[in-house]
Amino acid sequence: MANPTSRAYARRSTYPGWFFLPAAIIYGVLFLVPTFASLYFSLTRWSLFSSEFIGLTNFYQFFEEPFLVQGLVNTVIFAMITSGLKVVLGLLLAVLLTSRIALRGYLRSVVFFPVLVSTVGVGITFTVLMHPTQGAINVALELVGIDGPHWLTNPSLALYSVALVDVWKGVGLATVIYIAGLVAIPKDYYEAARIDGSTPTQSFFYITLPLSRPATVTVITLSFIGGLKTFDLIWAMTRGGPGFSSDTIASIIYKQYQAGFYGLSTAGNVVLFVLIALLVVPLTMYLNRREGHE
Amino acid sequence: MAGLELKAIQKSYGAVEVIKGVNLEISHGEFVVFVGPSGCGKSTLLRMIAGLEDISAGELWIAGKKCNHVEPRDRGIAMVFQSYALYPHMTVYENFGFGLKLAKTPKDVRDRKIRDAARILQMEHLLDRKPSQLSGGQRQRVAIGRAIVRQPEVFLFDEPLSNLDAALRVDMRMELANLHRDLGSTMIYVTHDQVEAMTLADKIVVLNGGVVQQVGSPIELYQRPENLFVAGFIGSPKMNFTEVTIDSINGGQVTVSGADIQPTELSADTTGLGEGDTVTLGTRPHDLLADASGNISGHVSLVERLGNETNVSLKLRSGATWLVVLDGDRELRHGQELQLGIEDQKAMIFDAAGQARHMA
Repeated sequence: MANPTSRAYARRSTYPGWFFLPAAIIYGVLFLVPTFASLYFSLTRWSLFSSEFIGLTNFYQFFEEPFLVQGLVNTVIFAMITSGLKVVLGLLLAVLLTSRIALRGYLRSVVFFPVLVSTVGVGITFTVLMHPTQGAINVALELVGIDGPHWLTNPSLALYSVALVDVWKGVGLATVIYIAGLVAIPKDYYEAARIDGSTPTQSFFYITLPLSRPATVTVITLSFIGGLKTFDLIWAMTRGGPGFSSDTIASIIYKQYQAGFYGLSTAGNVVLFVLIALLVVPLTMYLNRREGHE
Repeated sequence: MAGLELKAIQKSYGAVEVIKGVNLEISHGEFVVFVGPSGCGKSTLLRMIAGLEDISAGELWIAGKKCNHVEPRDRGIAMVFQSYALYPHMTVYENFGFGLKLAKTPKDVRDRKIRDAARILQMEHLLDRKPSQLSGGQRQRVAIGRAIVRQPEVFLFDEPLSNLDAALRVDMRMELANLHRDLGSTMIYVTHDQVEAMTLADKIVVLNGGVVQQVGSPIELYQRPENLFVAGFIGSPKMNFTEVTIDSINGGQVTVSGADIQPTELSADTTGLGEGDTVTLGTRPHDLLADASGNISGHVSLVERLGNETNVSLKLRSGATWLVVLDGDRELRHGQELQLGIEDQKAMIFDAAGQARHMA
């Protein structure tokens, strides 16, 4: 006879216990085991075939990486610039694409198109476009009398250039999220505000902006995490260069993998995981608290 | 003095004309109710007055100023929406004060006006709450408070009570009537509920298909509807209708009969009517009496005993069903034959064009 606790559970749960087993096995094998394995391997000297426990040595070594601090700063700068610009541009584009304009449906799909293109493809294309002398961007700037900068070869500009390309590629997703948020705001609020004397600009700041907060939270969270772990676009466009000027933690980790330091780079991944958790968890807690309050 | 004048106001969406030349004068301090079935254009007309819809043709004058192209904020109006449209991210205090804040009203003046409005509506203890923390009735009061705070010359209400339950609706109706008495402002109120219209209005405007059917006091509309539509729309329960033929005309008296009614003499304006014409006879359910020698007979199909009165559905010979409200409690059986008479000739005649033929 089943004990009262399990009977209470059976009453509460929609499905019997065995029903969860396949998902639990998949979760365990594909997610739990690798996570704990990577925690273990980050504490070893690991050659893929054998491993030797060395404690926190990998972490010491990783933090002794001369450009790690710059990589850390670059990562945070990249995440902040891209998520900030995606929020601002995504909202403005969503306002445009929810207004009464011709070809609205078509324009909405056009803004989303870059999201669907392969990141490496975008990186290669923009590397060509941003060529200091022959790239289309500088050629166009030259036509209006502007001497275009060395987008990807100037060490103080390379990271920002890649960030702009990342924004171009990702703003479509932010726009779509904002469009969904904006169309959910009842028209009555705008009408009530108009009667209250609100100008279109005031309606934007007093109605649209606060009421699209759930979309803002989603866009910030997604693009901030995306920015912190960014790798593919950096690698396709600058490989972290010139020098180490556009290296992020992910590209540094990749370089360690390339050099065969598997244990060391796994330790880097753990560092990246902790960094994301330290920045994103408080951020989302703050954003969601404010949202719940409203 | 904030009267309103609508001169041949029209509204069309492309080729579809929804308001077809409305002329209307509203005096300062009047409580005017626009009433009509769904889609009759009453909300559109209100929104045109508010400035939320463009006016396709005609002129709108508010307080002696032509307002066709004036922004809503400059029309001296405030509006209460059916959905309340309370800003969900603002507290009650901020909702009340939003319009004043935009108008850059000094903070102390704003605070005083907000607290005055809250006192009138007995909401002082709720000023810090968000709309989501309020009940339906409280939200409704916030919406009204937001309008009061602006001290408008004209209040516009778009079906404000339709989201409330029946009991609360009655309470709020009384509150609105009191508010109108206390503030003395002009109020224009849209509803499809003719009980609200009858109880609140100084003047009712009945609309159908974008056309004003009749304008008048509630009692005028009840007692002397100008046409079949108004007769059928105003009054609860609805007026009963049956087709009859004119048997004879004698000055202001006309004798009619039909499948459902024995020859009956009534007073009517007989101008242009002739013997043999088919007209419509209308009589209100409360104006019918159980009378063994009455001219109307039918079989009881449904009885609702309410104690103080009895609602009876009566199947007539022609197959039509009439509703009769009899005084007091009556014990009637399903299928029982019932003879009815019309009290004090309180029946109306409508000609073939649907126009009422009241005696002058």
